[in-house]
Amino acid sequence: MVGLPYDLLANPLGAVRLTFQKAVESGSGPATLEGRDWGAADLFRQFLFDDGGLSQVPILNAASVRSIPPNTLVRFRGMIQDMLGNEFYVGAYKDGGLWRTNKFMDVSQFPMDLSSDKRVWERRLLYCVPVPWLNSWTEPSSEVLLNRCASWTSPQREKRQREDDETIDHMDMEVSDQVFQGSPHTKKMRGGQLSPSSHSDECMVEGTCPSTSMVPGFERNSLPCLVKIYDSTEDDLKLNDIFEFVGVLTFDPEVTPADKEDSDELENSFCQEESAHLPPSKVPRLHCLVHRKLAVHDVVSISPVVEPKPNQVKEVREALLGHLTAALGNDVLAAEFMLLHLLSKVHARVDTLAVGKLSLNLTCFNKENMSVFGNSLNLAVKNLLPITHHIPLSVDYLNTTTLAPRKDYETNRLMSGVLQLAEGSHLTIDETHLQAGTLNTVGVENVRLLKNLLELQKVEYDFKYYKMEMTTDVQLLVLSEGKSNILPADLVVPFRPISVGSPEMVDAEALKAWRWYLASVRSLPHSIEPEMQKVVEDDMVAARQADRTLGSQDFSRWLTMSRLMSASFGETCMSLEHWQMVKELERLRRERHQ
Amino acid sequence: MMKDVDFNRDKDLARDFLSNFADADGEPKYMKILQDVANHKTKAIQIDLEDLFNYKDLDEEFLRRVTENTRRYIGIFADAIDELIPEPTEAFPDDDHDILMTQRSEEGTENMDGADPRQRMPPEIKRFYEVYIRASSKGRPFTIREVKASYIGQLVRISGIVTRCSDVKPLMQVAVYTCEECGFEIYQEVTARVFMPLFECPSKRCKTNNTKGNLILQLRASKFLKFQEAKIQELAEHVPKGHIPRTMTVHCRGELTRKVAPGDVVELSGIFLPIPYTGFRAMRAGLVADTYLEAMSVSHFKKKYEEYELKGDEEEQIARLAEDGDIYNKLAQSLAPEIFGHEDIKKALLLLLVGAPHRKLKDGMKIRGDLHICLMGDPGVAKSQLLKHIINVAPRGVYTTGKGSSGVGLTAAVQKDPVTNEMVLEGGALVLADMGICAIDEFDKMDESDRTSIHEVMEQQTVSIAKAGITTSLNARTAVLAAANPAWGRYDLRRTPAENINLPPALLSRFDILWLILDRADMDSDLEMARHVVYVHQNKESPSLGFTPLEPSVLRAYISAARKLSPSIPRELEEYIASAYSGIRQDEAKSNSPHSYTTVRTLLSILRISAALARLRFSDTVAQSDVDEALRLMQMSKFSLYSEDRQRSGLDAISDIYSILRDEAARTNKMDVSYAHALNWISRKLLDNAEIQLLVVSDCLKWMCSGQGYSEAQLKECLEEYAALNVWQIHPNTFDIRFIDASTRRRLIEEDNISSIHSHDLSEFEDI
Repeated sequence: MVGLPYDLLANPLGAVRLTFQKAVESGSGPATLEGRDWGAADLFRQFLFDDGGLSQVPILNAASVRSIPPNTLVRFRGMIQDMLGNEFYVGAYKDGGLWRTNKFMDVSQFPMDLSSDKRVWERRLLYCVPVPWLNSWTEPSSEVLLNRCASWTSPQREKRQREDDETIDHMDMEVSDQVFQGSPHTKKMRGGQLSPSSHSDECMVEGTCPSTSMVPGFERNSLPCLVKIYDSTEDDLKLNDIFEFVGVLTFDPEVTPADKEDSDELENSFCQEESAHLPPSKVPRLHCLVHRKLAVHDVVSISPVVEPKPNQVKEVREALLGHLTAALGNDVLAAEFMLLHLLSKVHARVDTLAVGKLSLNLTCFNKENMSVFGNSLNLAVKNLLPITHHIPLSVDYLNTTTLAPRKDYETNRLMSGVLQLAEGSHLTIDETHLQAGTLNTVGVENVRLLKNLLELQKVEYDFKYYKMEMTTDVQLLVLSEGKSNILPADLVVPFRPISVGSPEMVDAEALKAWRWYLASVRSLPHSIEPEMQKVVEDDMVAARQADRTLGSQDFSRWLTMSRLMSASFGETCMSLEHWQMVKELERLRRERHQ
Repeated sequence: MMKDVDFNRDKDLARDFLSNFADADGEPKYMKILQDVANHKTKAIQIDLEDLFNYKDLDEEFLRRVTENTRRYIGIFADAIDELIPEPTEAFPDDDHDILMTQRSEEGTENMDGADPRQRMPPEIKRFYEVYIRASSKGRPFTIREVKASYIGQLVRISGIVTRCSDVKPLMQVAVYTCEECGFEIYQEVTARVFMPLFECPSKRCKTNNTKGNLILQLRASKFLKFQEAKIQELAEHVPKGHIPRTMTVHCRGELTRKVAPGDVVELSGIFLPIPYTGFRAMRAGLVADTYLEAMSVSHFKKKYEEYELKGDEEEQIARLAEDGDIYNKLAQSLAPEIFGHEDIKKALLLLLVGAPHRKLKDGMKIRGDLHICLMGDPGVAKSQLLKHIINVAPRGVYTTGKGSSGVGLTAAVQKDPVTNEMVLEGGALVLADMGICAIDEFDKMDESDRTSIHEVMEQQTVSIAKAGITTSLNARTAVLAAANPAWGRYDLRRTPAENINLPPALLSRFDILWLILDRADMDSDLEMARHVVYVHQNKESPSLGFTPLEPSVLRAYISAARKLSPSIPRELEEYIASAYSGIRQDEAKSNSPHSYTTVRTLLSILRISAALARLRFSDTVAQSDVDEALRLMQMSKFSLYSEDRQRSGLDAISDIYSILRDEAARTNKMDVSYAHALNWISRKLLDNAEIQLLVVSDCLKWMCSGQGYSEAQLKECLEEYAALNVWQIHPNTFDIRFIDASTRRRLIEEDNISSIHSHDLSEFEDI
């Protein structure tokens, strides 16, 4: 489309309205437009992805929320932390003889006649937070954003601010008129009206109520966002998924007297919309036009994914293995297992089994070598994977922390726990600090949760009247002195450092290559040829005849390891060589146990 | 949008329906209710949509209008009832309301000075009944997420769990004012949660006189309704994967208040309505509407088999299954289909789900119908998975471990309430599973207190408590499904089940079936396992089972249908069963295996299993084939425990020799035993056993050959084996034995870290 009559970035609602008008004119009644797109989303999709408009859309975060004008196009990257249910709104109504729509907006643009013909539509509310424990190196640069903000700031703002307080409905009407005209002049005015002065906003952030920062360990300035989803099936947006939402921002940092009055009115009833606990003054709303799911490798790099070439992959593998070996004090065996562990991912769930997980328990850590290798290991993991978290396990920690998310029926919100993690997160549990002590009820429950996470890759969310199992995909690394009994990992490897290597400097290019390698190689497909299958089966039977303690879990682990081994070489088919490497690794590991 | 619906015509239709509807017995159902209402016996009038549907003069358009605009039609039905309400036929004491009404109707004539709607008495204030329209109970209720915007205003049926409940509060329905100037009663109908009170008298007299009469709200004269708010949440099984359960607000009025409490699983029918915003909120929120469900009926979800209602086509499906000759196998296979093999165990578990009818004898004695099963076996043979699966299939099942998770344990406990300091009785897992199934994992690790009371639970099916001034008996009519691990790591075939599980025989005998699952070392099963694992990794799914297992819901429906029957044993079978039982007794008396308990309990078990089998066939009488199958199952379970005879005889000798040596050493109080002595002891034992005095030599030789005697080779084997366990030390040349005392041995254990199987043997030795 050439020569758009509206600016999709600054005035997305104009486009929404025009496409709606066009759809109505072409004969579709409001009934047929319910629950489906009339061309607006297609228009934006084309603009964002085909015409490369995505990079021009400013990213919404704690820093930018104050400077982005409302009713403009923004994008937000976050994890779906809670689902607040559906919201009913007047989707279409008749204004005189004309159908108008309220889709993608919070307040009606035109005064609505109470008796007019109305259609109630619904939209889904998703409470999204920035991805927990996302490492800072993943954040894209925000140059675009700054440029746009600078041009928008106008000196009139301060003065306009005071005029806001007149009447609210007056304002609404005014806004709507301006948006309708869509001229650059009025746009500026409108922006001035709705935007806060940066001063008043400062106070806002200071006084953030606890319910908005649900995720523990969250920096205070990270911004949650209430995303309103239109016309999408339930299945494609799931809890704990990472998404990029592009849509219309509405944010009103003013606490209006009306808000307070309202809460008095219904004080002793709990019949309030859930969002009442998330006032629009603290949580911005995003009316989503386009959303897309982000996998781990999307988070790692913006650059397009290149098909890994075998020789190149091998080089990167060697270099990365070297890096891990150095971090682990030249323990090559531990580094090999570490590499496989970092590549693991739940590929499928069969009955209760999570196929593809490979949790690792490095034993023989003590206070002394923990301070050396623990730190270098943590640093290495943090630099390599996008989402990492480190839990120093202690009796006190177990007894006091809420690991599992819990539903709070007072606020009707899901209170997040440490284990509410996005897919592909990495969790290091340091057991070396654990002393003897007594666990209380919370502690026992937490231990059980951790055990379930390790064994089944599932976390039970506490809904008080029942528990719901949510599947997760978290890589778990346990560091302990002896074999951890409370945290049964798939692989127990005694750690035998040979030398204390000085922390080597890693150049940025290599780091980039490794990150890319870890993210892309682990999603490679995998297959086992019939001949190979025969070999594997025979090997397993022979092994079990020799050692009765081997069970299906061990076999399953061997297969997972051989898959990861093949993948680490960039190959998609299991070869005899890799199978034998795995068997050799297992042999060496068993030797260490003796 | 509103078509010209003639509400007057609909009122006539409603009246016609109410006065003419006849239920299945031909009784005028609603007129009877109205009479009860007139006599002040009930307050609620529930109109079943199903009745409307079954009404002979059904007007489908009218039915549709009632479903889609229910709130309006409640008013219409109420109007119709006003016209129909009969005179009371019984005397009842007048209450305030009636007195007020009499007064009003007397005054009414003089007050009628104009057509002012505020002055006319609203029909609502005269009504002393409440009208509810209940949705048809046919079909599946909605889940909360299925109720979409298009259902606004309609009657829907929803299932969910109650998460919060407000207090019951009065809600004003009609506000009554009196005017200071003219003295008239002024009425204001309240339809919303919030209303704006009147301040000026709107009556004609005040208006014309321009006096602006001051209105005073009369609380006693106004009409209030009980009002309660609740929140319901989707049930866990209705939430799609990766989603959070949705919630919905429910308003309960009048007679429907105090019907639910947090934690209740309920099925509600009600009208899905938007809440109109008032005041500032309306302006601010602009175009967003909250919704709620105006409850019309509340029913608690039933979880017991006996109350299980068949849904939709299930009845038909069950009938089809019942005709299938192979239903017994099919149902059994469908239990835990992902667990390979174990057909007979699954059959036994199926019978546990079905159970036998309870019997109450004339003298008041009860005989339980629930089957108890105990699964024993090596770790890692999917015992726990089987248990969990059974609990999933059972409509009321509790899964717990012997240790339990709370202080209540398995049975019941008296506890001090932390808030009120009162003693409260708290039921444990077995009490909670009353009329259901209680699966107890790690049965052997039960608390000592539970161990004593579980005897009672398993036979009398009650839990008696006499603690802290509370003496009571709680029902625990539950089928116990226990899983136990061997006392020392792996199941030791040389020992009896009682020794292996570390439970007294008295408790074990209460189980109808004991089953041992062993992890056997054979190539085929290993290959099977390897194939399975490889298949799972390759195809991301379990290998196909070769049959399609029945859905758990179908299984549940079939079992609940089967449980409704109470089969009896025909007279001609009594003889057969009696002879079978005595046959088992005879066999047992003949055999020399010391550990099997065929008692009257066994006979009852046979009867129970046969009855359960008859139930599965939907038969009212037990057939001989049922008894045969019951005997076969019991035989199989016994084989699983004792079939290792061949293997055992060789091994048994070793432990027997050990016990002979140990006993002799203890008797003589010596730590050292010479090889010659040892040989002497074991051969003397042989002579004692064989009662050589009475037998001729050839007989004696026969004894030797039949494996009853112990050879020198066996003695040596025994010495070596137990030396490896640090029980004794053997002199390398003379083979003399030196027992190791407990403290030395402990040290040796620490050094060698010997496996747990042996530590048990040692603990026996410690008694010396």
